Amino acid sequence: MKKILNRPEAYVDEMLEGLVAAHPEALRRLGDDGRVIARARPAATPKVGIVTGGGSGHLPVFLGYVGEGLLDACAVGNVFAGPRVDDCQLAARTADSGAGVLQLYGNYGGDRMNFDMAQEFLEMDGLEVESVRVADDVASAPVAEKAKRRGVAGMVFAFKAAGARAAEGVTLAEVASSARKAAGACRSIGVALTPCVVPESGKPSFTIADDEIEFGMGIHGEPGIWRGPMKPADALAQEMLDRLLPEVELGRGSRVAVLVNSLGATPHEELYLLYRHVARALAARGATPVMPLVGRYATSMEMAGASLTLMPLDSELERLLKAPADCPFWRVA
Amino acid sequence: MNAPARSIIAGSAVDAAMLRAALARWCDALDAAVPELNALDARLGDGDLGTTLGKCAANVRASSFAADDIAAIFKACAQACAKASGSSFGTLLAIGFLAVAKSVGPRQTLDRDLIVEALQAAQQALAARGGATVGDKTMLDSLQALADALGAAQADDLASLKQVARMATRQALDAMRERPNRIGRARMFADASVGLDDPGMVAVHRMVQAL
Repeated sequence: MKKILNRPEAYVDEMLEGLVAAHPEALRRLGDDGRVIARARPAATPKVGIVTGGGSGHLPVFLGYVGEGLLDACAVGNVFAGPRVDDCQLAARTADSGAGVLQLYGNYGGDRMNFDMAQEFLEMDGLEVESVRVADDVASAPVAEKAKRRGVAGMVFAFKAAGARAAEGVTLAEVASSARKAAGACRSIGVALTPCVVPESGKPSFTIADDEIEFGMGIHGEPGIWRGPMKPADALAQEMLDRLLPEVELGRGSRVAVLVNSLGATPHEELYLLYRHVARALAARGATPVMPLVGRYATSMEMAGASLTLMPLDSELERLLKAPADCPFWRVA
Repeated sequence: MNAPARSIIAGSAVDAAMLRAALARWCDALDAAVPELNALDARLGDGDLGTTLGKCAANVRASSFAADDIAAIFKACAQACAKASGSSFGTLLAIGFLAVAKSVGPRQTLDRDLIVEALQAAQQALAARGGATVGDKTMLDSLQALADALGAAQADDLASLKQVARMATRQALDAMRERPNRIGRARMFADASVGLDDPGMVAVHRMVQAL
């Protein structure tokens, strides 16, 4: 294993120390273990707080989206391991400015258990809390079992919609409703080319032959749909579209948010090859991509591969997508 | 269940001072079990169960408990376990303790029937939150055996009930040993888990032995 680190067990804490040192104007670190990241400056006027949390190893997901018009605080776990219940609570208490808190996170069993537990403690203390889980990975369960799907890059759109809605100064119920709408509208699928190495274990997240890819693999190396020989970029992009489009209503005149995301090691050049094909296919259907995102938005450390996320837009989602936002990894002006 | 009407025999009542003393023994037992539980967990999972429970014990020991409110003591235990990172067992313990706190409500003593009700409440909360059911070879099987045995016990004095409890978690281990784990990380090694004790069930047995 070749990795830039000091001690594997210090990987996450040293990363957090560096991140906050690089962005003191935007972020601060809280908690007895320093495992909560919050906005450096609280919102100027009371608003619904948005919190998330999850394992490290996915930057900019999760904590990278703490910022204006996005998230207020994030509970941070070890690489690919959920955050502590205690830190989920602290994130929520920090994000609360009197208007209630939305817990918005990826649909993973451990995270769900921890956030549910945090919500129970918070409600016992009189905090108003709602929870929305993102479950956009179509490869992780069939459409009939949608609620079992994992949350992947679609979280970025859900964070954006919830953060923008909260900035409009509406109630917790309205923010949760918009977050639910965004989470329910987006669909994602990924393809993995190489594994990543978790620092704490020193082992690859999975093994795969040099000339093979795994289609539909999850962001922690969860099994996908098929494993087989590498294909040309256009064929990969087309299969991604073929898997997403049956669940996404896109006709002539539709407007759609598009995210072509690197799982870590895949360079921007290769992402633009994928986007080229996606843009042509959408144009052929008469659908218009709105504010397409191409880059590293939800990664799996140094895994090579990419994912495609589509979110059909109504006027509300388009307004929320385009609303101003600013965090160390993403700026919408 | 053929439990007698709510018992008020002084011999079976647990007050807050007794509960705090029992929790101190519970913490000592978890500390002592760290290497055993890590080794058991390493055969099926990532080997951090003992370490996680050691953190829970340290956090419980560091908690300040309300003088005589039993529910407040259990709630503080839940918060203490929620602080432990690592294995999800810390969160599961927190879920169990909080369910117990809600079940008993603010009161100064516990009797056998309240303990049985609290164990059943913990079992239900763990099933709802953790997704396991009885028979999956998890601590739910131990809790079910505990609640059943305590509810059915003839004797009502504390010493006898402790003996019944120790027997129940031991028998639950014996009953599940040759079955596969059906949930959690160990599920991926279901065949390998046949013949092995579930680390979580062993943890519950060690906790009960300490009381």
